[in-house]
Amino acid sequence: MKPTAEAPRPTRTDTAPPPAGAASWAKRLDIVWALARSDLRIRYGRGSWQVVNWFVNPFVLVGVYVLLRVILDRGGEAVGLSIACAVVPFQIVMLSCVSAMNSVSLREPILLNMRFDRTLLPPSAVMTETLAFVTSFVMFPLMMLLYWVGPTTALLWLPLVVAATMLLAFGAAWPSALLGVWAPGVTLFATQGLRIMFFAAPGLVALSEMSDDVRRWIVLNPLTGLFESFRDVILYGDAPALWQLGYPAAVGALLAAVFLPLYRREQRHFAKLVSSL
Amino acid sequence: MSHIRAEGVGVQFLFDRQQRTMSPMLARFRRRSSEHWALTDVSFEMTAGEGVALLGASGSGKSTLLRIIAGVLEPDAGQIAVSGRVGSLLSIQAGVMAALTGRENTYLLGVLAGMTARQARAQIPEVKARSRLEDQYEHLVGSYSQGMRARLGLAVIEGTEPSILLLDEVHEALDHEFRDHVEAYAHRLLEAGGLVVATGHDHPMLERLCTRALLLEDGHVTADGGFLDVQRRYLGDRAA
Repeated sequence: MKPTAEAPRPTRTDTAPPPAGAASWAKRLDIVWALARSDLRIRYGRGSWQVVNWFVNPFVLVGVYVLLRVILDRGGEAVGLSIACAVVPFQIVMLSCVSAMNSVSLREPILLNMRFDRTLLPPSAVMTETLAFVTSFVMFPLMMLLYWVGPTTALLWLPLVVAATMLLAFGAAWPSALLGVWAPGVTLFATQGLRIMFFAAPGLVALSEMSDDVRRWIVLNPLTGLFESFRDVILYGDAPALWQLGYPAAVGALLAAVFLPLYRREQRHFAKLVSSL
Repeated sequence: MSHIRAEGVGVQFLFDRQQRTMSPMLARFRRRSSEHWALTDVSFEMTAGEGVALLGASGSGKSTLLRIIAGVLEPDAGQIAVSGRVGSLLSIQAGVMAALTGRENTYLLGVLAGMTARQARAQIPEVKARSRLEDQYEHLVGSYSQGMRARLGLAVIEGTEPSILLLDEVHEALDHEFRDHVEAYAHRLLEAGGLVVATGHDHPMLERLCTRALLLEDGHVTADGGFLDVQRRYLGDRAA
């Protein structure tokens, strides 16, 4: 029956009710964890080399940026640690977006075979990349030791700073997942756009080292607040300013508020869309 | 009690100029080239203990109908109500991921099918034994033959204890020994009050499993009745 104005809304009813309340959240967590576990194996491999890769990769990334700064002849306070404070949150956000872009097409065989809660795919991408990059936190104590930067009580803010980072990654994962389904051809371009976001934020150079003109627009980038928050609690020993945590968290919440309902509406067509990707 | 009821079910595919499938929302922004109703006004009722075959030529809508029952696709028109836990082998890859091992697929698919993480882990030895993959179970599924994938897929499904089994040609990739196993499993499920909906070109096997058949032509159900009657009409139409 082709739908007409009078036709009832198309529906599917399953009489086996899903679990409710706490059981429902426990089930969702199980699914997110299972998806993230399989993702980690697919994206990062297996065995001892995987662990080596996890530990070495962040150091290499920071090393590249330190080298760039040396070539640009820009000195500064604890350069390596300062860059690490930007690289860690950036990698979590960027890789979450990249992983979310592939999260639907990667599960094509399952998507075309069985019903499951497809709204959990983007959160699982965030979990995958957070777990993969959690090893990069080892960098902080090592670099603090290297630059003789002592720990302060400001470190107590770190869980909140990480939470704000994850909230931004969580919010950005929804439009990323939709982009991966709607326009898989532009995901490479989008990834390059995300990389540009690093340089359009105080990634290589701290905010305090920038001119007033640059500072005026660079704070609009939600990554700015995150990078500076990491520097505050790890490098400067200060509590982060409210805007540094509040702005990226608000952007993440706004993205989720706009794109989560859209994703929920679109996910019912995923099986049709992935088969033509 | 397993039960499936469909009323006026329709499934629409929208295509852009490159013949890529679009969602209705994408169709607002991209120029639409064509649309195709893979199913139109499909109505039926299937009750516990029934084995139902879907007959029809390639592209007639058999796989789309199975996907609607499985919940992989949602109807764009009409209503479908499914009562019972569904286990499905619908895609050529048998729903397993090539980049994971048999063990890893077992865990992931178990959790996605509704098991807790602990239940999914606990069932691994049983699934390994049922799949008869031996050492290959620990290898990447990408190295499996199509038949081995189907064996793994079916072994996982059995662990989830479905009351509705959907089979889409995938079982035809199985060797004879395992095909007997599929048949025996489907018969046990039917005797226990379950439902089996199957499609494929192995009509002798469908006849052993199914007492009833639906004939699909261009997305419409054109016949619904006893398996042999519907098969005769299908083969007669083709011969004509």
